[in-house]
Amino acid sequence: MDFILEGIYKAFLLLLGGHEETWSAVYATVAVSSISICATVLLGAPLGFLLGYCSFPGRRAVRLVVDTLLSFPTVVIGLIVYGFISRSGPLGELGLLFTLQGIAVGQVMLGLPVVVAMVANAVENADERLEATLLTLGADSTQLLRATLWEVRYHLMLATVAAYGRIVSEVGISMMVGGNIKWHTRTITTAIALETGKGEFAMGVALGLVLLIIAFGVNISVSGLKRRVAK
Amino acid sequence: MKKLITLLLFLVLALPAVAFAEKPVLMMSTTTSTDNTGLLDVLKPAFEAETGIELRWTAVGTGKALAMGQNCDVDVLLVHAPGAEKKFVADGYGVDRTQLMYNDFVIIGPAADPAKVKGMSVSDALKKIGQSGNIFCSRGDNSGTHKKELSLWKESGMAVPEKEAWYVQTGQGMLPTINVANEKNAYTMTDRGTFIKYEASHNGNPPIVILVEGDGALFNQYSAMAVNPKNCPNAKYDLAKKYIDWMASDATQKLIGDFKLMGKQLFTPNAGK
Amino acid sequence: MSPLYSLSGIRQRYAGRLALDLPSLSIEEGSIVGVAGPNGSGKSTLMRMLAFLEMPQEGQIRFDGTSVDASSGGSRAAMLRKHVTLLTQEPYLLRRTVAENVGYGLAVRGQRNSADAVRQALADVGLPAQEFMHRQWFELSGGEAQRVALAARIILRPKVLLMDEPTSSLDEESAERIRMASMRMRDAHGTTLVIVSHDREWLDSVTDTMVMLRNGHLAG
Repeated sequence: MDFILEGIYKAFLLLLGGHEETWSAVYATVAVSSISICATVLLGAPLGFLLGYCSFPGRRAVRLVVDTLLSFPTVVIGLIVYGFISRSGPLGELGLLFTLQGIAVGQVMLGLPVVVAMVANAVENADERLEATLLTLGADSTQLLRATLWEVRYHLMLATVAAYGRIVSEVGISMMVGGNIKWHTRTITTAIALETGKGEFAMGVALGLVLLIIAFGVNISVSGLKRRVAK
Repeated sequence: MKKLITLLLFLVLALPAVAFAEKPVLMMSTTTSTDNTGLLDVLKPAFEAETGIELRWTAVGTGKALAMGQNCDVDVLLVHAPGAEKKFVADGYGVDRTQLMYNDFVIIGPAADPAKVKGMSVSDALKKIGQSGNIFCSRGDNSGTHKKELSLWKESGMAVPEKEAWYVQTGQGMLPTINVANEKNAYTMTDRGTFIKYEASHNGNPPIVILVEGDGALFNQYSAMAVNPKNCPNAKYDLAKKYIDWMASDATQKLIGDFKLMGKQLFTPNAGK
Repeated sequence: MSPLYSLSGIRQRYAGRLALDLPSLSIEEGSIVGVAGPNGSGKSTLMRMLAFLEMPQEGQIRFDGTSVDASSGGSRAAMLRKHVTLLTQEPYLLRRTVAENVGYGLAVRGQRNSADAVRQALADVGLPAQEFMHRQWFELSGGEAQRVALAARIILRPKVLLMDEPTSSLDEESAERIRMASMRMRDAHGTTLVIVSHDREWLDSVTDTMVMLRNGHLAG
């Protein structure tokens, strides 16, 4: 129990004292989660639109698959990505193993179902007059896509926050694909796993708090955006 | 907004590439317990200063470390599982296996020593613990330490007490397992390094103490192996060779012997012996 | 001169039910056509087809030299939609400011600097630009919203302006503004108007022809 209190105290010491290893992990976490969330939204929003808007045979099956993928364990995603980018794997030549970029690939796989499912939902439930209005004002397919995504921007924002939460807190992918290499691919979450594995529980709690502070910072800067985009 | 994202993406993707362009990088796989000793963090800057090679390693379970060597994900391995290592070389995945140092395992238990095994040989001690019905905690997680423990049961002539009520498998790391042993007033086997840390966290006065040590069977031999370039043409064999030679060199061997954890020596260098 | 619209052999079905069955119908350019009939008589279906939001399942529509039928591709419909615009029954706006709503049609046609045109369109529906340009879509009464929706369409100077019950459930001032603005489109720009309305008085006073529908068929 006292490791929790010690951890809280330690969190501030680490951040304010400029502890190099912690700040290196902070950089890694922020860098990789940023790439991941950007790619997730850029890919996921249009895909979600297509799933919600178009009718095609097997649409319900696809929807079911996407919803199921929301429960995809991160370690398994990590394993799959490792299988592909390992030197002996089909994409081994890309040299993505043990890199932040490799972790990002896995994290995008993690975040995509969240964004796709929520955007598809929002588009499906959008007012039926939206499509008619956009088309009658002369929008072509691309313009229809963009205007619809803008109309459901509040849901897109929620989806992004949810996906980011999954991405920034995952450890299975970072560990498997990144290798937890100090100074390079050691993120806050893999550092937590390492410290708790060593029995350094206070350090684990401290790093956990650091992660929450990062998430808090991200959400604060986004909440200003949320209010502007609201309703 | 789009421009900002593109710029951010470019920066994050480009930055690491720029940083890496300088030194040659040697990728190593090793075990979590090796990494946890802190020895590698001490040796890394010395190696870099002398050879200009940046050493990077990933610390995983022994099985995974070997698998990574087989998959050509790393260039060199540093593990402590001689049986598995020899098979690795025989199967053609590794070359230039070089023994470097050893640390040891110890049997620990309650200071009161209910089974009265203090000072015995490992085989005798395990037999006695088994007969006495005192609880023995095992990591039970297929780690190198766990495999070592299993081999000790076999050497003592006993079957692994899988189903015995007094044999508790925690499925966890070393420190958590010691904590469980302490809670249950039990015996367990640990590497000396973890015990030194446990001891330090109890201000030198731990409730659970070393009872059996120094038996040859308890030695934990570390060796390095280069990934076989025939199996992995892209492996940096020349860099791996430099590392192995450096680790076996007199100067480094001295560094290894001088390495202290909480003021206590942990490793005994034994390259070429 | 051939008619702007020529519909022939149109049959439209929903869930097995025949919603619209028009052997032949034509609409002259620059005319004002009224469409009336009881609920469920196929008026909205007809309007959606005239707006090229729906392709005919059977039959053909000729519009200004181009024809569409069941086999027509989406791009042809998209092309035709640039000349025809539909004002729906309940006021519906995009979730953005009034100015952005009114300027949307021009924006998708590649014209971004539309502030002047927006101001003019708002004036045409009786909404002072200064006061309304920057209001959000939820800061409008029902009548104001419908006027903004109309402004978003007349700004496009369409060949055809279709209006499906444009003034039902609106306050009298808004209804009057909408009537006047649509008339002005025909008078000033030769826009063809097709109007569905329960306001028989209005229809009788302004339309050149009436189309009566009953159960999806042309009646009397």
